Amino acid sequence: MKNKYLKKAAVLAMTGIIAAGSLAACGSDKKDESANAENAKELSMAWWGNQVRNERTQQVLDKYKEETGVTVKGQFFQWDDYWSKMATSAAGKKMPDIIQMDMSYIKQYADKGQLLDLTPYIEDGTLETSEITEDVLNMGKVEDGIYGIASGTSSSCMFYNKTLLDELGITIEDNMSLDDFVAISKEVYEKSGYRANLYHYGLYMDMYARANDIQATDKLGGDSAEDYVPYFQTLEDGIKEGWHISPSQAADTASVEEDPMVYGSSPENMTWCTINGSAQLTAYQAAAPEGTDIDLTTIPTTDPAKSNYVKPSMYFSVSADTKNPEEAVKLLNYLSNSTDAYDILLAERGIPASGKVTEAIMPKLSQEEQENAEFINDVITPNSSPMPPFPVEGSSQAQDLLRKLEEKVKYGEYTAQEAAGEYFTEANKMLAGE
Amino acid sequence: MKQKNSSFYKFINKEKNVGIIFCLPFIIGFLVFLIVPMGISLYYSFCDYDILSPAEFVGLKNYIYMFTQDETFWRSMKATIYFALVSVPLRLIFALLVAMILVRSSKAAGFYRAAYYLPSIIGGSVAVAILWKRMFAPDGVVNSLLGMIGIDTKFAWLSDTKTAIWTLIILAIWQFGSSMLIFLSALKQIPKELYEAADVDGANKITKFFKVTLPLLTPTIFFNLVMQMINGFLAFTQSLIITQGKPMDTTLFYAVYMYQQSFNFNQSGYASAMAWVMLLIIAAITFLLFKTKKFWVYEQG
Repeated sequence: MKNKYLKKAAVLAMTGIIAAGSLAACGSDKKDESANAENAKELSMAWWGNQVRNERTQQVLDKYKEETGVTVKGQFFQWDDYWSKMATSAAGKKMPDIIQMDMSYIKQYADKGQLLDLTPYIEDGTLETSEITEDVLNMGKVEDGIYGIASGTSSSCMFYNKTLLDELGITIEDNMSLDDFVAISKEVYEKSGYRANLYHYGLYMDMYARANDIQATDKLGGDSAEDYVPYFQTLEDGIKEGWHISPSQAADTASVEEDPMVYGSSPENMTWCTINGSAQLTAYQAAAPEGTDIDLTTIPTTDPAKSNYVKPSMYFSVSADTKNPEEAVKLLNYLSNSTDAYDILLAERGIPASGKVTEAIMPKLSQEEQENAEFINDVITPNSSPMPPFPVEGSSQAQDLLRKLEEKVKYGEYTAQEAAGEYFTEANKMLAGE
Repeated sequence: MKQKNSSFYKFINKEKNVGIIFCLPFIIGFLVFLIVPMGISLYYSFCDYDILSPAEFVGLKNYIYMFTQDETFWRSMKATIYFALVSVPLRLIFALLVAMILVRSSKAAGFYRAAYYLPSIIGGSVAVAILWKRMFAPDGVVNSLLGMIGIDTKFAWLSDTKTAIWTLIILAIWQFGSSMLIFLSALKQIPKELYEAADVDGANKITKFFKVTLPLLTPTIFFNLVMQMINGFLAFTQSLIITQGKPMDTTLFYAVYMYQQSFNFNQSGYASAMAWVMLLIIAAITFLLFKTKKFWVYEQG
């Protein structure tokens, strides 16, 4: 008899625990949500980046809490993870209040109503923009609204191994033409065995298209595949003549540390130059072997004044899901205008958008960061054209196709003619959303 | 009050009800985290869905595009099938070989069993993938070792269309641990009498292996084959980290291409359709394997 009761009690206890457990699980979820809605003093912010950026941003958020009492929960990710996370949380209407945004995504997110239009806050003064130039402010403009404030400016550039070129007695002039570049590449290759890397990760197309007035919008520029033949022809020649690197010598990688300009065992599998965003100078210099000086210059094209442009290195945007737009914009304002914040952040997210901030932090910047700032202000800005239109959906797919076609030309699978033909038809299909 | 309580006791005390209650966590998990997402993905596979905006029903468009226009789809399929068909049999052969050696009981056997199982645990990790990438770099360990035996080379294993996939296959073979453990226990269950009888008949080691060991192992081989084949088709990490599908899509595994479609190109509807095609392929292969079972699998009794 007693035993039976014990058994019953045990069963009851077990069901109780299970039920309580599941209730608790539901309960805690709800609590979180309501806390967000009621408690005005909590925000969330997400960004992608490296360890340095994570630490500095977290420090700034801690400082912000000290000053205003607003807690900001930071979440950070790697680039790829970041965008899958943002896409899924956007679908669930749970995007963090402040998000770091990129030029390649801002239009898609703004078009789909995922971002808050900042115009009213700029008008009522919550978001201070007097220190930001018209040009930089307009970088965040999609249709009629402002959907992001550039965290800083940067530019694409060519990095090169200055130590090596000095040894060979070659000087690089800014705004070098494509012909000069090819001549220099041949000379470097003959004298030292180091190759050039211009067709790197599909990044060069943007520059080529701008120089030839065939910039992509919602379709590729130009009338036919013929417009793209010279692009692949230079590469084909470079591979045949040996002065351009191919994957059989060194892999084409997005990683700075494994870039053949700084990583490799002999001239055979290394390059004397590469192209990337100018803010990466610090990273390239850090990855380069001891005693190698890395310098930066403009990317060679047939018309550098047309191809050069200043771009936002990234933006800060406010999510349309935010329950607290006012507070979120205040934080955005802090991240855009506070000299205190940039004392910590420095130029890690590009040269700050606010002129006042840039001036204040200049002396604190590292040598590489100062070089980068001078490059953007003194070399690119005076000799550049407006920023390209935002990429449309399908651009990332077209970019992937371009990388594969460049790869095929490098392996000798495709001629320039074939690559240009496939690029023109297939990329146009992708941009049209087929 | 008492009445109510006692009817509840009655309810709870029925064996069936108790069973159901105790199974509930699993059942709920299975429904909520498996069946429901599967249903949703089936629906999305008929939609144009980029995650950011609401899904739009487009019927069979994704499937038609996949089979008629998407060349990358076929290349990824080819790479995956090649990988699965080559790596799985090689892995099983290797697992069986090692199991045959380790089945002899010696003092160190336990240690070796654990040591050989280790790659299965760590082999799927990102860290090992990166290690692998370094090993096969032009100035990596592999080329250095070749240099030591007189073959001086700077060959880029990961950049050649013929060798790149083999670096992934070797990595897969290296993770033979779980199959090996299953083989080990199966080997131990083979009755000693059969070997003794074979000895009496004057069979040598090779004959014993082919006439006794192998036939009695066929159920285990079958199990391993099915499980590993499924795993082979779902391979992901190695390709994503080591080669990213390069060179020229020769190592672009199906799962990686699916991931790219969903998260790099924002085509989640298309990726869902790809997932369902993969499910059907795996089902078909498993079905075929079961069909061949009666021709080569020995079943006792």
